[in-house]
Amino acid sequence: MEKRESLWEAYLKRGLSRRSFLKGCVALTSLMGLSTDMFSKVVEAAENKPLPVVVWIHGHECTGCDESFIRSASPLASDLVLNNIALEYDHLLSAACGAPFEAHLDETITKYNGQYILAVEGAVATKASGVHCMSGGHTFLHLLEKAAKGAAAIIAYGSCAAYGGIQAAAPNPTGSAGISHFVGGKPVVNVPGCPPIPEVMTGVVMHVALFGTIPPLDGDGRPKQFYGNRIHDTCYRRPFFDAGMFAETYDDAGSKAGWCLYKLGCRGPETYNSCGNLRWWQGMSYPIQSGAACIGCSNAHFWDEAPFSARLPQYGKIGDADKIGVGLGVLTAAGVGAHAVASIIQRNSRDNLLESEDEHKN
Amino acid sequence: MALKAVKEVKRKEYYIFSPFLRIFHWIMVGSILILFVTGLLITKPMNVSTTEPFFTITSMDLVRDIHFVTAFIFTASLILRIYGFIINKGDRLFPRVWEGHFYEETVDVALHYMLIRPHHASFLRNPLARMSYAALYAMVAIEILTGFAMYFMTNPSGTGGILFGWVNLVLGGEMMTHYVHHYVAWFIILFAIGHMYMVVRAEFMEGESEVSSMFSGKKILAHTPKDANELD
Repeated sequence: MEKRESLWEAYLKRGLSRRSFLKGCVALTSLMGLSTDMFSKVVEAAENKPLPVVVWIHGHECTGCDESFIRSASPLASDLVLNNIALEYDHLLSAACGAPFEAHLDETITKYNGQYILAVEGAVATKASGVHCMSGGHTFLHLLEKAAKGAAAIIAYGSCAAYGGIQAAAPNPTGSAGISHFVGGKPVVNVPGCPPIPEVMTGVVMHVALFGTIPPLDGDGRPKQFYGNRIHDTCYRRPFFDAGMFAETYDDAGSKAGWCLYKLGCRGPETYNSCGNLRWWQGMSYPIQSGAACIGCSNAHFWDEAPFSARLPQYGKIGDADKIGVGLGVLTAAGVGAHAVASIIQRNSRDNLLESEDEHKN
Repeated sequence: MALKAVKEVKRKEYYIFSPFLRIFHWIMVGSILILFVTGLLITKPMNVSTTEPFFTITSMDLVRDIHFVTAFIFTASLILRIYGFIINKGDRLFPRVWEGHFYEETVDVALHYMLIRPHHASFLRNPLARMSYAALYAMVAIEILTGFAMYFMTNPSGTGGILFGWVNLVLGGEMMTHYVHHYVAWFIILFAIGHMYMVVRAEFMEGESEVSSMFSGKKILAHTPKDANELD
Protein backbone atom coordinates (compact mmCIF):
# COMPACT_ATOMS: atom_id res chain seq x y z
CA MET A 1 0.00 0.00 0.00
CA GLU A 2 1.90 3.03 -1.23
CA LYS A 3 -0.55 5.90 -1.13
CA ARG A 4 -2.90 5.44 1.80
CA GLU A 5 -6.43 6.39 0.88
CA SER A 6 -8.97 8.13 3.07
CA LEU A 7 -12.39 6.74 3.93
CA TRP A 8 -14.02 9.02 1.32
CA GLU A 9 -11.61 7.83 -1.33
CA ALA A 10 -12.35 4.27 -0.38
CA TYR A 11 -16.07 4.99 -0.84
CA LEU A 12 -15.44 6.65 -4.23
CA LYS A 13 -13.37 3.73 -5.43
CA ARG A 14 -16.24 1.40 -4.68
CA GLY A 15 -18.70 3.66 -6.50
CA LEU A 16 -20.69 4.46 -3.37
CA SER A 17 -22.72 7.66 -3.16
CA ARG A 18 -21.96 10.73 -1.07
CA ARG A 19 -25.22 10.04 0.73
CA SER A 20 -24.10 6.62 1.89
CA PHE A 21 -20.75 8.11 2.92
CA LEU A 22 -22.52 10.67 5.10
CA LYS A 23 -24.76 7.99 6.54
CA GLY A 24 -21.65 6.01 7.39
CA CYS A 25 -20.20 9.07 9.12
CA VAL A 26 -23.37 9.51 11.19
CA ALA A 27 -23.08 5.88 12.28
CA LEU A 28 -19.40 6.40 13.11
CA THR A 29 -20.15 9.52 15.19
CA SER A 30 -22.68 7.76 17.33
CA LEU A 31 -20.73 4.55 17.74
CA MET A 32 -17.72 6.52 18.93
CA GLY A 33 -19.93 7.87 21.68
CA LEU A 34 -19.70 11.44 20.36
CA SER A 35 -22.48 14.00 20.31
CA THR A 36 -24.00 14.89 16.95
CA ASP A 37 -22.40 18.34 16.84
CA MET A 38 -19.10 16.54 16.26
CA PHE A 39 -20.55 15.20 12.99
CA SER A 40 -18.89 17.79 10.74
CA LYS A 41 -15.51 17.02 12.27
CA VAL A 42 -16.03 13.32 11.64
CA VAL A 43 -16.88 14.01 7.97
CA GLU A 44 -13.83 16.24 7.63
CA ALA A 45 -11.57 13.61 9.12
CA ALA A 46 -13.09 10.85 6.98
CA GLU A 47 -12.51 12.91 3.83
CA ASN A 48 -8.91 13.84 4.49
CA LYS A 49 -7.30 11.44 6.93
CA PRO A 50 -5.53 8.54 5.27
CA LEU A 51 -6.71 5.20 6.62
CA PRO A 52 -4.62 4.43 9.68
CA VAL A 53 -2.18 1.58 9.76
CA VAL A 54 -2.91 -0.81 12.58
CA VAL A 55 -0.58 -3.40 14.03
CA TRP A 56 -2.44 -5.83 16.25
CA ILE A 57 -0.42 -8.12 18.48
CA HIS A 58 -1.46 -10.87 20.87
CA GLY A 59 0.20 -11.82 24.13
CA HIS A 60 -0.68 -13.89 27.15
CA GLU A 61 -4.40 -14.39 26.56
CA CYS A 62 -7.17 -16.53 25.10
CA THR A 63 -8.00 -14.38 21.99
CA GLY A 64 -11.52 -14.08 23.32
CA CYS A 65 -11.30 -10.35 22.64
CA ASP A 66 -11.01 -11.16 18.92
CA GLU A 67 -14.04 -13.37 19.17
CA SER A 68 -15.86 -10.36 20.52
CA PHE A 69 -14.32 -7.95 17.99
CA ILE A 70 -15.35 -9.92 14.90
CA ARG A 71 -18.96 -9.80 16.11
CA SER A 72 -19.11 -6.02 16.01
CA ALA A 73 -22.23 -4.97 14.12
CA SER A 74 -21.86 -1.22 13.75
CA PRO A 75 -19.50 -0.95 12.09
CA LEU A 76 -19.19 -4.52 10.92
CA ALA A 77 -15.80 -5.83 11.92
CA SER A 78 -15.23 -6.87 8.30
CA ASP A 79 -15.92 -3.29 7.14
CA LEU A 80 -13.53 -1.94 9.71
CA VAL A 81 -10.73 -4.37 8.91
CA LEU A 82 -11.12 -4.19 5.13
CA ASN A 83 -12.23 -0.58 4.57
CA ASN A 84 -11.73 1.69 7.55
CA ILE A 85 -8.28 0.77 8.74
CA ALA A 86 -5.22 -0.70 7.12
CA LEU A 87 -4.64 -3.75 9.27
CA GLU A 88 -1.07 -4.64 8.40
CA TYR A 89 -0.34 -7.27 10.99
CA ASP A 90 -2.60 -9.39 13.13
CA HIS A 91 -1.66 -12.73 14.63
CA LEU A 92 -5.16 -14.06 14.49
CA LEU A 93 -6.80 -12.60 11.37
CA SER A 94 -3.88 -12.84 8.96
CA ALA A 95 -3.79 -15.47 6.25
CA ALA A 96 0.00 -15.23 6.02
CA CYS A 97 2.28 -16.94 8.51
CA GLY A 98 5.88 -17.85 9.25
CA ALA A 99 9.03 -15.91 8.41
CA PRO A 100 7.52 -13.70 5.63
CA PHE A 101 4.79 -12.63 8.01
CA GLU A 102 7.27 -11.69 10.72
CA ALA A 103 9.37 -9.86 8.13
CA HIS A 104 6.27 -7.91 7.13
CA LEU A 105 5.89 -6.73 10.72
CA ASP A 106 9.44 -5.34 10.74
CA GLU A 107 8.76 -3.70 7.39
CA THR A 108 5.54 -2.08 8.63
CA ILE A 109 7.13 -0.84 11.81
CA THR A 110 9.98 0.85 9.91
CA LYS A 111 7.85 2.19 7.07
CA TYR A 112 5.15 3.75 9.21
CA ASN A 113 7.38 4.66 12.14
CA GLY A 114 5.54 7.02 14.46
CA GLN A 115 2.26 6.69 12.53
CA TYR A 116 0.71 3.33 13.19
CA ILE A 117 -1.77 2.38 15.89
CA LEU A 118 -0.66 -0.49 18.06
CA ALA A 119 -3.47 -2.65 19.37
CA VAL A 120 -2.42 -5.08 22.07
CA GLU A 121 -4.37 -8.01 23.37
CA GLY A 122 -3.08 -10.11 26.22
CA ALA A 123 -0.87 -9.61 29.22
CA VAL A 124 2.90 -9.56 29.47
CA ALA A 125 4.35 -12.64 31.19
CA THR A 126 7.20 -11.27 33.26
CA LYS A 127 8.47 -14.25 35.27
CA ALA A 128 11.34 -16.46 34.01
CA SER A 129 12.43 -13.73 31.55
CA GLY A 130 9.03 -13.90 29.88
CA VAL A 131 9.31 -17.44 28.45
CA HIS A 132 5.73 -18.20 29.49
CA CYS A 133 4.54 -16.32 26.42
CA MET A 134 6.53 -16.62 23.19
CA SER A 135 5.73 -15.12 19.82
CA GLY A 136 7.72 -15.63 16.63
CA GLY A 137 10.68 -17.12 18.51
CA HIS A 138 10.94 -14.20 20.91
CA THR A 139 9.24 -13.38 24.16
CA PHE A 140 6.07 -11.38 23.84
CA LEU A 141 7.73 -8.67 25.91
CA HIS A 142 10.36 -8.32 23.18
CA LEU A 143 7.66 -8.03 20.51
CA LEU A 144 5.71 -5.49 22.55
CA GLU A 145 8.73 -3.29 23.18
CA LYS A 146 9.68 -3.45 19.51
CA ALA A 147 6.21 -2.57 18.29
CA ALA A 148 5.52 0.07 20.94
CA LYS A 149 8.62 2.10 20.09
CA GLY A 150 7.27 3.58 16.86
CA ALA A 151 3.55 3.54 17.68
CA ALA A 152 1.51 6.74 17.45
CA ALA A 153 -1.03 5.38 19.91
CA ILE A 154 -1.39 2.22 21.90
CA ILE A 155 -4.69 0.53 22.67
CA ALA A 156 -4.83 -2.19 25.33
CA TYR A 157 -7.74 -4.44 24.43
CA GLY A 158 -9.18 -6.58 27.18
CA SER A 159 -8.56 -6.95 30.90
CA CYS A 160 -5.34 -8.92 30.21
CA ALA A 161 -3.60 -6.10 28.35
CA ALA A 162 -5.01 -3.53 30.74
CA TYR A 163 -4.50 -5.23 34.11
CA GLY A 164 -2.94 -8.68 33.65
CA GLY A 165 -6.13 -10.67 33.31
CA ILE A 166 -7.24 -13.97 34.77
CA GLN A 167 -3.74 -15.47 34.51
CA ALA A 168 -2.63 -12.76 36.94
CA ALA A 169 -4.89 -14.23 39.63
CA ALA A 170 -3.08 -15.03 42.88
CA PRO A 171 -0.49 -16.52 43.05
CA ASN A 172 0.16 -15.31 39.48
CA PRO A 173 2.63 -18.05 38.48
CA THR A 174 3.63 -16.38 35.20
CA GLY A 175 3.98 -12.87 36.62
CA SER A 176 1.31 -11.55 34.25
CA ALA A 177 0.90 -7.80 34.16
CA GLY A 178 -0.81 -5.14 32.09
CA ILE A 179 1.18 -3.62 29.23
CA SER A 180 1.32 -0.03 30.51
CA HIS A 181 4.72 -0.45 32.23
CA PHE A 182 6.34 -2.02 29.17
CA VAL A 183 5.66 0.49 26.41
CA GLY A 184 8.31 3.05 27.24
CA GLY A 185 6.02 5.53 28.97
CA LYS A 186 3.65 5.98 26.00
CA PRO A 187 0.04 6.68 26.90
CA VAL A 188 -2.12 3.58 26.71
CA VAL A 189 -5.85 3.55 26.07
CA ASN A 190 -7.23 0.86 28.37
CA VAL A 191 -10.23 -0.96 26.93
CA PRO A 192 -10.81 -3.52 29.69
CA GLY A 193 -13.40 -6.25 29.67
CA CYS A 194 -13.29 -9.98 29.40
CA PRO A 195 -13.92 -9.48 26.56
CA PRO A 196 -14.74 -5.81 25.87
CA ILE A 197 -18.02 -5.05 24.11
CA PRO A 198 -17.48 -5.43 20.33
CA GLU A 199 -18.77 -1.94 19.51
CA VAL A 200 -16.52 -0.47 22.18
CA MET A 201 -13.50 -2.14 20.57
CA THR A 202 -14.31 -0.85 17.10
CA GLY A 203 -15.41 2.54 18.46
CA VAL A 204 -12.09 3.19 20.19
CA VAL A 205 -9.94 2.24 17.23
CA MET A 206 -12.14 4.35 14.93
CA HIS A 207 -11.76 7.35 17.23
CA VAL A 208 -7.99 7.08 17.14
CA ALA A 209 -8.08 6.44 13.41
CA LEU A 210 -10.30 9.38 12.49
CA PHE A 211 -9.10 12.08 14.85
CA GLY A 212 -5.53 10.96 15.25
CA THR A 213 -5.85 11.55 18.96
CA ILE A 214 -6.72 9.24 21.80
CA PRO A 215 -10.25 9.68 23.18
CA PRO A 216 -10.76 11.50 26.51
CA LEU A 217 -9.62 9.14 29.25
CA ASP A 218 -10.51 8.75 32.91
CA GLY A 219 -7.99 8.34 35.73
CA ASP A 220 -7.47 4.71 34.85
CA GLY A 221 -6.80 5.39 31.16
CA ARG A 222 -10.22 4.19 30.00
CA PRO A 223 -12.19 6.09 27.34
CA LYS A 224 -14.77 8.15 29.20
CA GLN A 225 -17.49 7.69 26.58
CA PHE A 226 -17.60 3.93 27.21
CA TYR A 227 -16.37 3.58 30.81
CA GLY A 228 -17.82 6.74 32.33
CA ASN A 229 -20.70 5.03 34.10
CA ARG A 230 -21.15 2.16 36.43
CA ILE A 231 -23.25 -0.70 35.11
CA HIS A 232 -25.31 -0.26 38.30
CA ASP A 233 -26.10 3.36 37.41
CA THR A 234 -27.22 2.44 33.89
CA CYS A 235 -28.85 -0.89 34.74
CA TYR A 236 -32.48 -1.37 33.79
CA ARG A 237 -32.92 -3.37 37.04
CA ARG A 238 -31.80 -0.41 39.16
CA PRO A 239 -35.38 0.50 40.21
CA PHE A 240 -35.66 -2.92 41.88
CA PHE A 241 -32.47 -2.19 43.80
CA ASP A 242 -33.76 1.16 45.00
CA ALA A 243 -37.05 -0.38 46.03
CA GLY A 244 -35.32 -3.21 47.87
CA MET A 245 -36.63 -6.00 45.66
CA PHE A 246 -33.97 -8.68 45.32
CA ALA A 247 -33.51 -12.15 43.98
CA GLU A 248 -32.23 -14.35 46.82
CA THR A 249 -31.34 -17.37 44.72
CA TYR A 250 -31.16 -17.98 40.99
CA ASP A 251 -34.46 -19.82 40.97
CA ASP A 252 -36.71 -17.93 43.35
CA ALA A 253 -39.71 -15.81 42.45
CA GLY A 254 -37.68 -12.60 42.58
CA SER A 255 -35.20 -13.98 40.08
CA LYS A 256 -37.99 -15.08 37.76
CA ALA A 257 -39.60 -11.66 38.02
CA GLY A 258 -36.33 -10.05 36.93
CA TRP A 259 -35.53 -8.32 40.21
CA CYS A 260 -32.14 -6.93 41.24
CA LEU A 261 -29.26 -9.42 41.52
CA TYR A 262 -27.35 -7.39 44.12
CA LYS A 263 -27.69 -10.02 46.85
CA LEU A 264 -26.35 -12.66 44.48
CA GLY A 265 -23.06 -10.77 44.41
CA CYS A 266 -23.68 -8.61 41.34
CA ARG A 267 -20.63 -6.40 40.68
CA GLY A 268 -22.63 -3.81 38.77
CA PRO A 269 -22.17 -1.22 41.55
CA GLU A 270 -18.37 -1.40 41.13
CA THR A 271 -18.02 -1.95 37.41
CA TYR A 272 -17.47 0.69 34.76
CA ASN A 273 -18.60 -0.46 31.34
CA SER A 274 -21.23 0.11 28.68
CA CYS A 275 -23.12 -3.14 29.26
CA GLY A 276 -26.06 -1.24 30.71
CA ASN A 277 -26.53 1.12 27.75
CA LEU A 278 -24.80 -0.34 24.67
CA ARG A 279 -25.40 -3.97 25.70
CA TRP A 280 -24.13 -6.91 23.62
CA TRP A 281 -24.99 -8.31 20.21
CA GLN A 282 -26.51 -5.15 18.77
CA GLY A 283 -28.09 -4.19 22.04
CA MET A 284 -29.84 -7.51 22.47
CA SER A 285 -28.85 -8.34 26.05
CA TYR A 286 -26.11 -8.36 28.67
CA PRO A 287 -25.32 -10.65 31.60
CA ILE A 288 -27.68 -9.00 34.10
CA GLN A 289 -30.50 -8.95 31.56
CA SER A 290 -30.04 -12.69 31.05
CA GLY A 291 -30.43 -13.17 34.81
CA ALA A 292 -26.76 -13.66 35.74
CA ALA A 293 -25.05 -11.36 38.22
CA CYS A 294 -22.26 -9.20 36.79
CA ILE A 295 -18.79 -10.47 37.75
CA GLY A 296 -17.09 -7.14 37.04
CA CYS A 297 -14.92 -8.48 34.20
CA SER A 298 -13.69 -5.01 33.24
CA ASN A 299 -12.32 -4.32 36.73
CA ALA A 300 -8.70 -4.63 37.72
CA HIS A 301 -8.30 -7.64 40.06
CA PHE A 302 -11.87 -8.87 39.54
CA TRP A 303 -10.39 -12.38 39.38
CA ASP A 304 -9.24 -12.19 43.00
CA GLU A 305 -12.52 -10.90 44.39
CA ALA A 306 -14.24 -14.23 44.89
CA PRO A 307 -16.89 -15.33 45.56
CA PHE A 308 -18.79 -13.77 42.68
CA SER A 309 -22.02 -14.89 44.34
CA ALA A 310 -21.74 -12.76 47.50
CA ARG A 311 -21.03 -9.17 48.46
CA LEU A 312 -18.32 -10.05 50.98
CA PRO A 313 -15.38 -12.49 50.85
CA GLN A 314 -15.87 -15.77 52.72
CA TYR A 315 -13.21 -17.07 55.06
CA GLY A 316 -13.76 -20.82 54.97
CA LYS A 317 -16.05 -22.19 57.63
CA ILE A 318 -15.85 -19.03 59.74
CA GLY A 319 -17.94 -17.03 57.31
CA ASP A 320 -17.72 -13.47 56.07
CA ALA A 321 -16.62 -10.21 57.69
CA ASP A 322 -20.01 -9.65 59.33
CA LYS A 323 -19.90 -12.98 61.16
CA ILE A 324 -16.30 -12.39 62.19
CA GLY A 325 -17.24 -8.86 63.29
CA VAL A 326 -20.07 -10.12 65.49
CA GLY A 327 -17.70 -12.75 66.94
CA LEU A 328 -15.04 -10.15 67.69
CA GLY A 329 -17.69 -7.87 69.20
CA VAL A 330 -18.86 -10.62 71.55
CA LEU A 331 -15.26 -11.47 72.44
CA THR A 332 -14.48 -7.81 73.14
CA ALA A 333 -17.58 -7.47 75.31
CA ALA A 334 -16.64 -10.64 77.21
CA GLY A 335 -13.05 -9.43 77.65
CA VAL A 336 -14.29 -6.07 78.86
CA GLY A 337 -16.60 -7.78 81.35
CA ALA A 338 -13.80 -9.95 82.71
CA HIS A 339 -11.54 -6.91 82.97
CA ALA A 340 -14.27 -5.04 84.84
CA VAL A 341 -14.57 -7.81 87.43
CA ALA A 342 -10.79 -7.94 87.86
CA SER A 343 -10.67 -4.14 88.16
CA ILE A 344 -13.30 -4.12 90.92
CA ILE A 345 -11.35 -6.74 92.85
CA GLN A 346 -8.20 -4.70 92.39
CA ARG A 347 -9.88 -1.51 93.54
CA ASN A 348 -11.38 -3.12 96.63
CA SER A 349 -8.06 -4.60 97.70
CA ARG A 350 -6.44 -1.22 97.06
CA ASP A 351 -9.08 0.64 99.10
CA ASN A 352 -8.86 -1.87 101.95
CA LEU A 353 -5.13 -1.33 101.99
CA LEU A 354 -5.56 2.44 102.15
CA GLU A 355 -8.19 2.14 104.88
CA SER A 356 -6.08 -0.12 107.05
CA GLU A 357 -3.21 2.35 106.62
CA ASP A 358 -5.54 5.14 107.75
CA GLU A 359 -6.63 3.14 110.80
CA HIS A 360 -3.00 2.52 111.76
CA LYS A 361 -2.36 6.25 111.67
CA ASN A 362 -5.36 6.94 113.86
CA MET B 1 -16.21 6.71 113.89
CA ALA B 2 -16.69 8.76 110.77
CA LEU B 3 -19.53 7.96 108.43
CA LYS B 4 -18.19 5.55 105.80
CA ALA B 5 -20.51 6.89 103.17
CA VAL B 6 -19.39 10.48 103.43
CA LYS B 7 -15.84 11.42 102.70
CA GLU B 8 -14.23 14.79 102.49
CA VAL B 9 -12.01 15.01 99.45
CA LYS B 10 -10.41 18.12 98.04
CA ARG B 11 -10.90 18.37 94.30
CA LYS B 12 -9.86 20.77 91.63
CA GLU B 13 -11.90 21.60 88.54
CA TYR B 14 -10.16 21.64 85.15
CA TYR B 15 -12.01 22.98 82.13
CA ILE B 16 -10.66 21.17 79.06
CA PHE B 17 -13.30 20.32 76.45
CA SER B 18 -14.79 23.20 74.49
CA PRO B 19 -18.48 23.01 73.54
CA PHE B 20 -17.41 22.46 69.92
CA LEU B 21 -15.57 19.28 70.84
CA ARG B 22 -18.47 18.06 72.97
CA ILE B 23 -21.07 18.71 70.28
CA PHE B 24 -18.80 17.03 67.76
CA HIS B 25 -18.40 14.06 70.06
CA TRP B 26 -22.12 13.45 70.38
CA ILE B 27 -22.75 14.00 66.69
CA MET B 28 -20.06 11.40 66.09
CA VAL B 29 -21.71 8.93 68.48
CA GLY B 30 -25.06 9.26 66.75
CA SER B 31 -23.55 9.25 63.27
CA ILE B 32 -21.45 6.15 63.85
CA LEU B 33 -24.46 4.23 65.16
CA ILE B 34 -26.64 5.29 62.22
CA LEU B 35 -23.88 4.78 59.66
CA PHE B 36 -23.04 1.34 61.01
CA VAL B 37 -26.62 0.05 61.06
CA THR B 38 -27.52 1.50 57.64
CA GLY B 39 -24.18 0.32 56.26
CA LEU B 40 -24.90 -3.26 57.29
CA LEU B 41 -28.37 -2.96 55.74
CA ILE B 42 -26.87 -1.70 52.49
CA THR B 43 -24.41 -4.61 52.30
CA LYS B 44 -27.05 -7.18 53.22
CA PRO B 45 -30.57 -5.83 52.79
CA MET B 46 -32.84 -7.43 55.38
CA ASN B 47 -35.91 -9.29 54.23
CA VAL B 48 -39.33 -8.67 55.65
CA SER B 49 -41.37 -11.39 54.01
CA THR B 50 -40.84 -15.04 54.75
CA THR B 51 -42.33 -16.33 51.53
CA GLU B 52 -41.17 -15.67 48.01
CA PRO B 53 -40.67 -13.18 46.58
CA PHE B 54 -38.59 -11.58 49.31
CA PHE B 55 -38.20 -7.85 49.67
CA THR B 56 -36.67 -5.52 52.21
CA ILE B 57 -38.24 -3.70 55.16
CA THR B 58 -37.31 -0.27 53.94
CA SER B 59 -36.43 0.74 50.45
CA MET B 60 -32.72 0.65 49.67
CA ASP B 61 -33.12 4.15 48.36
CA LEU B 62 -34.21 5.41 51.79
CA VAL B 63 -31.55 3.47 53.71
CA ARG B 64 -28.86 4.74 51.37
CA ASP B 65 -30.13 8.30 51.65
CA ILE B 66 -30.01 8.11 55.46
CA HIS B 67 -26.48 6.74 55.21
CA PHE B 68 -25.35 9.51 52.86
CA VAL B 69 -26.98 12.38 54.75
CA THR B 70 -25.52 11.13 58.03
CA ALA B 71 -22.12 10.80 56.39
CA PHE B 72 -22.27 14.41 55.19
CA ILE B 73 -23.35 15.67 58.64
CA PHE B 74 -20.59 13.69 60.34
CA THR B 75 -17.93 14.93 57.92
CA ALA B 76 -19.13 18.49 58.31
CA SER B 77 -19.06 18.18 62.11
CA LEU B 78 -15.30 17.65 61.90
CA ILE B 79 -15.18 21.40 61.26
CA LEU B 80 -16.46 21.91 64.85
CA ARG B 81 -13.71 19.69 66.17
CA ILE B 82 -11.01 21.58 64.29
CA TYR B 83 -12.47 24.95 65.27
CA GLY B 84 -12.44 23.91 68.93
CA PHE B 85 -8.84 22.80 68.53
CA ILE B 86 -7.92 26.25 67.23
CA ILE B 87 -9.67 28.34 69.88
CA ASN B 88 -9.28 26.17 72.99
CA LYS B 89 -6.08 24.78 74.48
CA GLY B 90 -7.98 21.92 76.12
CA ASP B 91 -9.00 20.41 72.78
CA ARG B 92 -6.21 18.37 71.30
CA LEU B 93 -6.36 16.53 67.99
CA PHE B 94 -3.45 14.13 68.32
CA PRO B 95 -1.27 12.92 71.21
CA ARG B 96 2.11 14.60 71.65
CA VAL B 97 4.11 11.60 70.53
CA TRP B 98 7.19 13.71 69.96
CA GLU B 99 7.60 14.31 73.70
CA GLY B 100 9.68 11.61 75.39
CA HIS B 101 7.63 11.37 78.58
CA PHE B 102 4.60 10.39 76.51
CA TYR B 103 5.93 6.85 76.10
CA GLU B 104 6.82 6.31 79.79
CA GLU B 105 3.36 7.49 80.72
CA THR B 106 1.75 5.22 78.13
CA VAL B 107 3.61 2.24 79.60
CA ASP B 108 2.57 3.29 83.10
CA VAL B 109 -1.09 3.41 82.10
CA ALA B 110 -0.85 0.17 80.14
CA LEU B 111 0.65 -1.64 83.14
CA HIS B 112 -2.23 -0.45 85.28
CA TYR B 113 -4.77 -1.61 82.70
CA MET B 114 -3.03 -4.98 82.66
CA LEU B 115 -3.78 -5.04 86.42
CA ILE B 116 -0.06 -5.14 87.21
CA ARG B 117 0.08 -1.71 88.87
CA PRO B 118 -2.64 -0.63 91.35
CA HIS B 119 -2.70 2.97 90.00
CA HIS B 120 -1.58 5.00 87.12
CA ALA B 121 -0.59 8.63 87.43
CA SER B 122 -3.43 11.12 87.11
CA PHE B 123 -3.79 12.77 83.69
CA LEU B 124 -6.06 15.30 82.11
CA ARG B 125 -5.40 13.41 78.90
CA ASN B 126 -4.71 9.76 79.40
CA PRO B 127 -1.89 8.99 76.91
CA LEU B 128 -3.13 5.49 76.07
CA ALA B 129 -6.65 6.76 75.47
CA ARG B 130 -5.24 9.51 73.29
CA MET B 131 -3.46 6.93 71.19
CA SER B 132 -6.73 5.09 70.67
CA TYR B 133 -8.40 8.37 69.60
CA ALA B 134 -5.64 8.93 67.04
CA ALA B 135 -6.37 5.43 65.74
CA LEU B 136 -10.08 6.29 65.63
CA TYR B 137 -9.40 9.45 63.64
CA ALA B 138 -7.27 7.42 61.22
CA MET B 139 -10.14 4.94 60.79
CA VAL B 140 -12.65 7.76 60.34
CA ALA B 141 -10.37 9.29 57.70
CA ILE B 142 -10.29 5.95 55.85
CA GLU B 143 -14.09 5.71 56.05
CA ILE B 144 -14.52 9.25 54.71
CA LEU B 145 -12.08 8.71 51.85
CA THR B 146 -13.44 5.32 50.80
CA GLY B 147 -17.03 6.42 51.37
CA PHE B 148 -16.81 9.47 49.18
CA ALA B 149 -14.75 7.53 46.63
CA MET B 150 -17.74 5.23 46.16
CA TYR B 151 -20.39 7.92 46.52
CA PHE B 152 -19.01 10.41 43.99
CA MET B 153 -18.09 7.88 41.32
CA THR B 154 -21.60 7.98 39.91
CA ASN B 155 -20.03 10.85 37.97
CA PRO B 156 -16.29 10.21 37.70
CA SER B 157 -15.72 13.46 35.79
CA GLY B 158 -17.40 15.60 38.45
CA THR B 159 -15.61 17.52 41.18
CA GLY B 160 -16.21 14.81 43.78
CA GLY B 161 -15.06 12.11 41.41
CA ILE B 162 -11.84 13.99 40.72
CA LEU B 163 -11.26 14.68 44.44
CA PHE B 164 -11.88 11.14 45.65
CA GLY B 165 -11.72 8.87 42.57
CA TRP B 166 -8.01 8.18 43.06
CA VAL B 167 -8.81 6.18 46.20
CA ASN B 168 -10.30 3.41 44.05
CA LEU B 169 -7.17 3.27 41.91
CA VAL B 170 -4.84 3.24 44.94
CA LEU B 171 -6.78 0.37 46.50
CA GLY B 172 -6.79 -1.52 43.19
CA GLY B 173 -10.47 -1.43 42.29
CA GLU B 174 -13.76 -0.22 43.63
CA MET B 175 -14.72 -3.61 45.09
CA MET B 176 -11.66 -3.32 47.33
CA THR B 177 -12.91 0.12 48.40
CA HIS B 178 -16.18 -1.51 49.48
CA TYR B 179 -14.29 -4.18 51.44
CA VAL B 180 -12.04 -1.65 53.21
CA HIS B 181 -15.03 0.57 54.04
CA HIS B 182 -16.92 -2.39 55.49
CA TYR B 183 -14.02 -3.88 57.48
CA VAL B 184 -12.90 -0.59 59.00
CA ALA B 185 -16.52 0.05 60.08
CA TRP B 186 -16.33 -3.10 62.20
CA PHE B 187 -13.07 -1.95 63.77
CA ILE B 188 -14.68 1.36 64.69
CA ILE B 189 -17.46 -0.54 66.49
CA LEU B 190 -14.86 -2.63 68.35
CA PHE B 191 -13.17 0.63 69.34
CA ALA B 192 -16.51 2.00 70.56
CA ILE B 193 -17.08 -1.00 72.83
CA GLY B 194 -13.62 -0.64 74.33
CA HIS B 195 -13.93 3.14 74.63
CA MET B 196 -17.28 2.96 76.44
CA TYR B 197 -15.92 0.41 78.87
CA MET B 198 -12.71 2.33 79.60
CA VAL B 199 -14.59 5.57 80.27
CA VAL B 200 -17.07 3.94 82.63
CA ARG B 201 -14.24 2.03 84.27
CA ALA B 202 -12.27 5.23 84.87
CA GLU B 203 -15.37 6.60 86.53
CA PHE B 204 -15.85 3.73 88.95
CA MET B 205 -12.14 3.25 89.66
CA GLU B 206 -11.24 6.87 90.32
CA GLY B 207 -14.58 8.65 90.56
CA GLU B 208 -13.11 11.57 88.68
CA SER B 209 -15.94 12.72 86.39
CA GLU B 210 -14.66 10.95 83.28
CA VAL B 211 -18.18 10.42 81.95
CA SER B 212 -19.63 13.82 82.81
CA SER B 213 -16.63 15.66 81.33
CA MET B 214 -18.00 14.99 77.84
CA PHE B 215 -21.17 16.86 78.88
CA SER B 216 -19.77 19.62 81.11
CA GLY B 217 -16.33 19.97 79.57
CA LYS B 218 -14.80 19.80 83.07
CA LYS B 219 -12.77 17.18 84.84
CA ILE B 220 -12.91 17.34 88.63
CA LEU B 221 -9.81 15.66 89.95
CA ALA B 222 -8.66 14.79 93.47
CA HIS B 223 -5.06 14.32 92.36
CA THR B 224 -3.11 16.99 90.55
CA PRO B 225 -2.73 15.64 87.01
CA LYS B 226 0.78 15.32 85.55
CA ASP B 227 -0.17 17.37 82.52
CA ALA B 228 -1.98 20.17 84.37
CA ASN B 229 0.52 22.72 83.07
CA GLU B 230 -0.54 22.02 79.48
CA LEU B 231 -3.71 24.03 79.96
CA ASP B 232 -1.87 27.33 80.54
